[in-house]
Amino acid sequence: MTDALFLALSALAIWSGWRVFRVDSMVRASFQLMVSFIAVGLIAVLLAAPYIGIATIFMMAVEMMVMALFMVMFMMNPAGLNPMVMVHQHRFAVAAGIVAFAGLSAAALLSDLPSNPVPQGADVVRALGHELLGPSMLIFETAGVTLLATMIGAVVLSARSGRYSDSDAGSVPPGLTPGGAPAGRQPENGGGHHHHGGH
Amino acid sequence: MVVVFLHGWSPNAPFPLIGAYRYVAIALPAMLLSMFVLIGAALPAKSLSVVEVVEAQRGLWNVVRQPLGLPLFMALGLAITLRGPFDYADGAELAGGTSAEESGPALALWKFARAAMLVAFSAMAATAFLGGHLGPVLPGPVWLLLKTLAVMAATVAAGRFFVRMPPARMLTLLWVVLLPLSFASLALVGVEVLP
Repeated sequence: MTDALFLALSALAIWSGWRVFRVDSMVRASFQLMVSFIAVGLIAVLLAAPYIGIATIFMMAVEMMVMALFMVMFMMNPAGLNPMVMVHQHRFAVAAGIVAFAGLSAAALLSDLPSNPVPQGADVVRALGHELLGPSMLIFETAGVTLLATMIGAVVLSARSGRYSDSDAGSVPPGLTPGGAPAGRQPENGGGHHHHGGH
Repeated sequence: MVVVFLHGWSPNAPFPLIGAYRYVAIALPAMLLSMFVLIGAALPAKSLSVVEVVEAQRGLWNVVRQPLGLPLFMALGLAITLRGPFDYADGAELAGGTSAEESGPALALWKFARAAMLVAFSAMAATAFLGGHLGPVLPGPVWLLLKTLAVMAATVAAGRFFVRMPPARMLTLLWVVLLPLSFASLALVGVEVLP
């Protein structure tokens, strides 16, 4: 039963992870990624790590919503409605993907993993809490604050009302068809000469 | 929140999409707020277990001990049941918002889901802040039912009573006023529990 669940969830995680790069919309990609992470979270629950599994599921749900929101705020392809290709630098991406997959598979199959089964009644959540708020607290707090500062910095740098001028000055949204005229509003000064009104 | 967003995004139509994105922007901070409030409710119990949270209220209900808790949690209730001041998803000004393109069984199912959310939220509010099954004379389940019904009535009434602000102003209210209030509530609980 557990094995069957594990296999099904792994298949779902891999399939939806693959779909992330094959679909043509940001919203679809975000939510495929969410499905993939939820499957991974459920696998963590199967592996007797309930806290990490459930936390992953909740975190990913909120994270993908934030991503969808940021898409509207910052992307030139608003609301993820225009079709777009999810991959670029094809050759490099293929090579990097193969190398990463082979490397990680080799590491997983060849390394001598310790066999250290968790006892039946172990308080895994309690142990994790003591670790997070005890010896490792400085590391986690430092990482957390650094990430927060990075996020705020990225938002400030990419906001349209930038410090020096409009950050999207001269940028052109992608077309509704491959190679087609840019969609949406046209920049007022210069840019595209097609008067394509969008939807 | 994910479901409301997808519900608005999937019809591929303007009004549902506007409702969905507007709702996400408002519901995210509302959700953050409820997190701090719920941690506040769990602190005196020293546990996230619902049973322990109720037991910790045997002396004094959380609604008295943490006066900010229940009103702030009600904001989340209004947001997740798409009601009144927080109904940015299905508002009448968007011709029904995320459900503008729906009718028949699909719409009935959506309304049923909203009602189910209201019941679930009310039961959680009654448990975390009103002492759950605790109460004199009557048996526990009856008390829980009565309290849940009371919270439900209050939530529906609040949805009817308060006006909906423009999204920008609501966003400011949430981030600048209500979220710091929830921090303050949590800090007060922490100080109370400390000794």
